[in-house]
Amino acid sequence: MYSPFPLLRLPGVVLCEIFKSLKIGEKIKLSLCSKKVSIQINNARLYSQKVIVDLDRLCHKIKVYSENNKDSFEIFVHFNYGICDPNSIKVEGRTLSVISVLHGIKTFWKNHQEGFLSVIRHLLKIFRCKFSIYNDFYSDLYEKTISELFNLQVEFKTLTIHFKRAGDQHLFWNQISNKLGLVEDLLISSTFDSDFIPVFTSWPQNINILNSDWFTLESLLTCPCTTITLWNSSLGNKDLDEILKNWKSGGFPNLERLIIHSHRIRNNGTTILGMNLEEMVIQTDDGSKKATFKLGYQSIEMSVTVSQ
Amino acid sequence: MTSPASSSEVKYLIESSEGNTFDVSGAALRQSNTFNAMFLNIGADGPIPFTDYNEATLKKVFEYCEHSVNEENYSGPKHQDDLSKWDLNFFNEMDQKMFIDVINASNFLDIERLTSYCCERIARMLRGKNTQEMIKVITLPTAEELEAKQKVEEKKAAAAKKVAEKAAETAEKTETLEELPVQQLVQTTRNKLTRKYLSFSNE
Repeated sequence: MYSPFPLLRLPGVVLCEIFKSLKIGEKIKLSLCSKKVSIQINNARLYSQKVIVDLDRLCHKIKVYSENNKDSFEIFVHFNYGICDPNSIKVEGRTLSVISVLHGIKTFWKNHQEGFLSVIRHLLKIFRCKFSIYNDFYSDLYEKTISELFNLQVEFKTLTIHFKRAGDQHLFWNQISNKLGLVEDLLISSTFDSDFIPVFTSWPQNINILNSDWFTLESLLTCPCTTITLWNSSLGNKDLDEILKNWKSGGFPNLERLIIHSHRIRNNGTTILGMNLEEMVIQTDDGSKKATFKLGYQSIEMSVTVSQ
Repeated sequence: MTSPASSSEVKYLIESSEGNTFDVSGAALRQSNTFNAMFLNIGADGPIPFTDYNEATLKKVFEYCEHSVNEENYSGPKHQDDLSKWDLNFFNEMDQKMFIDVINASNFLDIERLTSYCCERIARMLRGKNTQEMIKVITLPTAEELEAKQKVEEKKAAAAKKVAEKAAETAEKTETLEELPVQQLVQTTRNKLTRKYLSFSNE
């Protein structure tokens, strides 16, 4: 149509409308045009859509996608081996080469970690972001990235915690344990040292612990999560008695689903709260909620519904 | 000059930056939320001063409004491919300067449908392009140009204030309507418009 078009001469509200109608990738590419354009896009951040940012250090990839997953864009963060691109652009004050690829762009940085964090910072200015980290624990820089993200007060869609070295456990846990309120789904895949039991000073919305033998009954009774999944737990039928008594009297106020896998859970005619496990349907003392159970081999799944 | 009771039949006088006046139907004017907030219920005594925009621009904007009077209620931005032949001709007839003036005026008058179509047209220029191609599509302004833009925004804020004052003046003269609610309406609108334009001119 009109080219070149003086985009930045338009009023702020009009620019905001234009940015709203752009796709995620178009907005990111436009933000790389110049600092002035970037500032205008950042000014409209509050009106921007919420996006989920998947950090995948293993594949050197940051995937940005909409909550309905209909719109996505990938940013690859590569090490620059000296490629000189005359069309280089600036991101967060660093000059770098950018190449367009199918569904995204490749960016080349002199410092890989700095590149990753710079892209994250750039995205945070454009969008309202929620982060997901699945397999980053293979990277040496995993903990540094998570700490930085927590410092930036970002929200996490999914956070996977896995400690590579035993020595890192105390320090790292202390850094993040009071910030887990920013996490929607927490997956803990580490096996902890016997002398270290993580203490939660804040809780995510949903928690899934793969090796949960360290997660005691006392910890569970204080857990306000909506979904709790414990694998390889050391809890047994007696503990279930305690858990359900607590729930009946108003404990676990947010609980919608509890899944426990434990070799100590037996379904051999034993009862919980005086009832046979197979037929159990219980209600809270005030009658406001109902819980039903599914039994598996060494596992129990409790689903809570609000009573009619 | 105007009657609030039958605004679709009445004509309103609009004053442009050149000081010229021309008629616009109430039905067309009602597509402007700015107008609705300030004049619809109280009427206007004398020409409505949209003096930040020239006659050609205002006529183009209201040409669009007159055309869309009989269209169905606006239900969010349409894809460019869904635009009617008339809409496409309307946009294609404009040169770049007129297009920008129309966006600015439509934005000030808060004509949702027209502003949205204009924005979609600009977004379309950027679609499917990489960063280097986008840089070629948009002209990046110099510091002087940005400063000039800020001055324009400040001028618009002043114009908004002037229009609001005119509305307030009209409200004071309108004795047949309940006095207090009208004054409150005008005051709220004046504050809202002034805040809106000052906030963007400060960016």
